[in-house]
Amino acid sequence: MTANPEEKSEGVQAFPDSFDLEGEFARSNVQAVLEKLDRELVGLAPVKQRIREIAALLLVDKARRSMGLETGAPTLHMSFTGNPGTGKTTVALRMAEILKNLGYVRQGHLVSVTRDDLVGQYIGHTAPKTREVIKKAMGGVLFIDEAYYLYKPENERDYGQEAIEILLQVMENQRDDLVVILAGYANRMEVFFQSNPGFRSRIAHHIDFPDYSEKELMSIAKLMVDAQHYVLTPEAEKVLRDYIPRRMKMPHFANARSMRNALDRAKLRQANRLFGRKDRTNLTRHDLTTIEAEDLLASRVFQP
Amino acid sequence: MATPTGAKKELKGADRYKAGVLEYKVMGYWQPDYVPKDTDVIALFRITPQPGVEADEAAAAVAGESSTATWTVVWTDRLTAADLYRAKAYRVDKVPNSPDQYFAYIAYDMDLFEPDSIANLTASIIGNVFGFKAVKALRLEDMRIPVAYLKTFQGPPTGVMVERERLDKYGRPLLGATTKPKLGLSGRNYGRVVYEALKGGLDFTKDDENINSQPFMHWRDRFLYCMEAVNRASAATAEVKGHYLNVTAGTVEQMYERAEFAKELGSVIIMIDLVLGYTAIQSISKWARKNDMILHLHRAGNSTYSRQKNHGMNFRVICKWMRMAGVDHIHAGTVVGKLEGDPLMVKGFYDTLLQPHTPVAPELGLFFKQEWASLGKCMPVASGGIHLGQMHQLLHYLGEDVILQFGGGTIGHPDGIQAGAEANRVALESMVQARNEGVDYLAKGPEILAKAAKSCKPLQHGLDTWKNISFNYESTDTPDFTPQVTPAR
Amino acid sequence: MHENPRNMTQGQFSFLPPLTDDQIKAQIAYAIKMGFAVSVEYTDDPHPRNTYWEMWCQPMFDTKDPAAVMLEVNECRKVWGANHYIKVQAFDNARWRESVAMSFIVNRPKHEPGLGLARTEGPGRSIHYRVHSYATDKPRGERYK
Repeated sequence: MTANPEEKSEGVQAFPDSFDLEGEFARSNVQAVLEKLDRELVGLAPVKQRIREIAALLLVDKARRSMGLETGAPTLHMSFTGNPGTGKTTVALRMAEILKNLGYVRQGHLVSVTRDDLVGQYIGHTAPKTREVIKKAMGGVLFIDEAYYLYKPENERDYGQEAIEILLQVMENQRDDLVVILAGYANRMEVFFQSNPGFRSRIAHHIDFPDYSEKELMSIAKLMVDAQHYVLTPEAEKVLRDYIPRRMKMPHFANARSMRNALDRAKLRQANRLFGRKDRTNLTRHDLTTIEAEDLLASRVFQP
Repeated sequence: MATPTGAKKELKGADRYKAGVLEYKVMGYWQPDYVPKDTDVIALFRITPQPGVEADEAAAAVAGESSTATWTVVWTDRLTAADLYRAKAYRVDKVPNSPDQYFAYIAYDMDLFEPDSIANLTASIIGNVFGFKAVKALRLEDMRIPVAYLKTFQGPPTGVMVERERLDKYGRPLLGATTKPKLGLSGRNYGRVVYEALKGGLDFTKDDENINSQPFMHWRDRFLYCMEAVNRASAATAEVKGHYLNVTAGTVEQMYERAEFAKELGSVIIMIDLVLGYTAIQSISKWARKNDMILHLHRAGNSTYSRQKNHGMNFRVICKWMRMAGVDHIHAGTVVGKLEGDPLMVKGFYDTLLQPHTPVAPELGLFFKQEWASLGKCMPVASGGIHLGQMHQLLHYLGEDVILQFGGGTIGHPDGIQAGAEANRVALESMVQARNEGVDYLAKGPEILAKAAKSCKPLQHGLDTWKNISFNYESTDTPDFTPQVTPAR
Repeated sequence: MHENPRNMTQGQFSFLPPLTDDQIKAQIAYAIKMGFAVSVEYTDDPHPRNTYWEMWCQPMFDTKDPAAVMLEVNECRKVWGANHYIKVQAFDNARWRESVAMSFIVNRPKHEPGLGLARTEGPGRSIHYRVHSYATDKPRGERYK
């Protein structure tokens, strides 16, 4: 049967003298999750380092607990800051998995939301909406993207404030049941935390996601091409290398996401090119998998 | 039997209908190539042929005598589509470990039977044929009722889910007790037992099968006192309570009169005995559907023909017929109590009563795949020599949809009837709680009960009184097939 | 003579000591594991045939974790806990059940007056009974005060 308070107090609990950190680490399968993250995401060395540190902290925390050392329920809420497309959602998914493997959340699922999922349109609408989202995320991780939109100081009667209060309450009182990750641009998150100190004080881990370098973006693009069973001709690869710095300078650049979009458009142009061919009655496997330089060169990035 | 023609194969045309006596199998009752239709009724008989009678001839004889045949050829067969009406024995298997017994599969066209009539169905299947000389013994083991025929029957008037909704009781077996002593209590004293048991925590109390309207207590008196007890208990506990008022009587008209009075008094349930006969059961079932009444059936009499393995009929066939005829409750064995019941056989009965379809499962005694065609579920009742110390076994073997009846185990409690009822309810609730929490309750049953008894004295006293009581006798009706593990090669 | 400690014993576990929050969570975890939708209902009228208690919230169909249901139980307790019964129900939508699969009380009013029985004598010694909740003698909102 489950914990019965009477039973717990019976007798003095004997604590073990040693803790097998190595064995516990192996059992938790955290290494496998970290390796999966390495395969999924190029670069991001500082982020991966931070994840390892957090995992280590939680493991040691578990060891201390097993020996009866006072630790207090750990706060696990986090903030992920960085520009779009820097891997925040993917890392959040893996973080949920790690927390589950280490026994800090029960289910290990991730519920990803934005302001619209939490905040209602009229009086009395917000609380049930927020509660519905929290209920779905219970036992797992709630990921709130662009969390600063919850707070709109320009509007006195903004319902976002109601959602914030409910969230803060759950983050404080049900730390065993739910881990919240707030995500968004670094500078705007900073402003948000300044005006909502309640959030800042409840967040234990801040992780900053740096922008990708040109070289990393190139590797990401090549991984994507590969995964979708396409091939770049040497000319196309050269054009892509030229494309990246140009795109980075343009507005709405979104790191890995921009790479995906660029490739999606190249695929579209390749399809059109094949369709426009006269000998389209016998396309080869090579035709279907190859992306030519022209498929990329038509991008607006190369327009004067 | 004499075989004047000496024919081996089925005869056709004029030869077949020449006056005289023929072997059954040449008359068309043995058709090893026959493939039963989806609309055929199929019966499985255990046949013990007389010495010298071949198994296929015995099977053909059973098919003949349970359908169109008589001892001699009659020309009037030729006025009918006789090939259709003739039952066909199509398969005979040796019974494992019983050298002189055979399983015979016999198919009957659906048109041989009147819709919605168990009486008509059974008059053929278990009619004259059981006294037939060519077989030394005969037992009806199982039947496959086609969906088309099932659809002509009403089925249980209430059904398990609607019963639960009416009672507002979910997620646990229900608890009952039969008023004891079986005979002799006056109405006033009888109602006392009902009140104490229901107020103490049982959901139902029950008349025994032979409580009808005797000199020591006439039926109206019993009904009036019992309903006073039921309503008092209901007010005391805020629960719906019921007492199975036995309406069995000498005539169906008297039964209706008693059922109407039970309704007038606000009873949620009435009761009948199996000895009423199939037609009376179907009549009262229709009345129950019409009057929102749960219908309890006591299987009085069944053991006279269901217990011995070589003759009579298996209880699972009674279960099928009663689900068709339409009863909501039927006593179907306890596994651990004082009455006959091998665990696998009992599981076969329970599945037959509760499942929407049952697959072939020889180890449970289920020989056919049976679709139940949306007929309601019939709640099995476990009654006879069970007590609270067995709660973990009862929950494990019998599941959640069952009524556990602790008659002696309630009324015989050392602290009185209310205490007995409470002890049973606490034992049950703590076991369900443990099961839901994922505890290995079958292994840890005694611990769970001991722990629950710490805050419930009546449970402790009950455990002290009955902890060592069990009924370990060999079952007579056991499965012929045991599940076998295929050895790894 | 021995007497029941309670006068309202509906639900699966009314004869056990009141369930702790951990025990409630364990039951909810079972319901979620079985694929049931869990709901929270409350009433101030414990009549045995009071079928429709007030729904505190929609049945929770997609809940993964018992903490989500506990959240609603606790919210409901905050609002109605002092003077209402609250129960947790689990609904199974599997064909051939499609009904309530679990039901148990998680909150009781501080004072439980229970139910009374009124009798109306009829002809032939017959009596008609009326079971009624004392609480309903007062209008909604003023009961159990």
